[in-house]
Amino acid sequence: MQCKEASRLMQLYIDGRLKFDQIRALEAHITACSACHAELNSLEEMVSNLHDFKFVAEPEDLTAQIMRRVAISPPRSGTPKFSLLRPSLPEILAAVFLATIATLAFILQLPSVRSVLPVANGHDSLSLAFLHTLHLLTSIDIGTLTLVLWIVGTFLGIFITLLFAGNEVRSRWFRAMMARLPER
Amino acid sequence: MREHFLPSSQGLGISLSNAITTRAELDDMQLVAASKKGDQDAFAQLVQRYQRRVFNLVYRMLHHYEEATEITQETFLAAWQGLPSFRGDARFPTWLYRIAYNCSLKSLEQRKRDKALQEALQAEQVLEQAYGDKSADAQLEMHDRQAFIQELIARLPAKYRVVLILRHLQDMTYEEMAEILTMPIGTIKTHLFRARNLLKERLQTLDRDRFLGTRGL
Repeated sequence: MQCKEASRLMQLYIDGRLKFDQIRALEAHITACSACHAELNSLEEMVSNLHDFKFVAEPEDLTAQIMRRVAISPPRSGTPKFSLLRPSLPEILAAVFLATIATLAFILQLPSVRSVLPVANGHDSLSLAFLHTLHLLTSIDIGTLTLVLWIVGTFLGIFITLLFAGNEVRSRWFRAMMARLPER
Repeated sequence: MREHFLPSSQGLGISLSNAITTRAELDDMQLVAASKKGDQDAFAQLVQRYQRRVFNLVYRMLHHYEEATEITQETFLAAWQGLPSFRGDARFPTWLYRIAYNCSLKSLEQRKRDKALQEALQAEQVLEQAYGDKSADAQLEMHDRQAFIQELIARLPAKYRVVLILRHLQDMTYEEMAEILTMPIGTIKTHLFRARNLLKERLQTLDRDRFLGTRGL
């Protein structure tokens, strides 16, 4: 075991997050390495100092002070009114992005408009790349194409859902995903 | 400073994960349900149950007794007003701690902006400068080791300070901290490890200075 790895494991050891075999490996390293032994000692001493911290007594009349303010302040309504009319910044950006795509698609499907544009007129590199990709997609077999579209669609669906779900749901989802990963 | 210290959290045998039993959680749910209907007595019981832990979290974040009292009040007031939107996805204390943390952060931001407090901070910085110029021995004459650690914690960035407080002063698990701070567990670990390393390095510097001081070097 390298000292760098031992240093990381020490932190988890302090928090009681190591498995038995990891503890054995760490102990073996610490027995052989005086620098890591000293580091663990000083870490344990510091944590012990932190645990000796005492709770500070709150003011005796704190409950009364809080309840006085509570008494003159009614609970807010559960669901905020007009929340649909007050979108967050990511929601606005997503709406603008989708609106831009839809507008461009509408404009570009008009042949008269396309012919005067430097792009998407059928002869520029962008159009050629698009046609080439389209040709490639139509030439592959339908099973593969369905699979690709299914994967892309799934990820797009997850992305859009998370985009609109808000911070709370996003962080909960992320934690759930991370919890499924193997412990480092 | 007006604070009075109580026996340590370990001495009291209170840890968030242990103390809050299923029974207490059930009680919480009943009290929250009653509070949602406007029952102030039920809410007062919740206040009494959690005010000490909330106050200590805020106090360690702000390092100012009167301000911590005010922010604790604001935390419970925000909880009272926000109860209708509390769906019970998280446990009540977790939700409460999250509010307390956010209120503390807001207060720290406000403190930066507040001109009068800015002047006080500048005065404090002058004191700190003078403090920094003194030898390590002189520092130890002024403060014992615990007080010095408290000062070191107070000087850490808020994101490091809060994980240290929650882990070691409030005895929380990585999972509880992740839920309160709405961060992935990996980030919690990174912040905690960095915070402890920073603190350890500064303490080692202090010890080295003391050693050199006693030897007259």
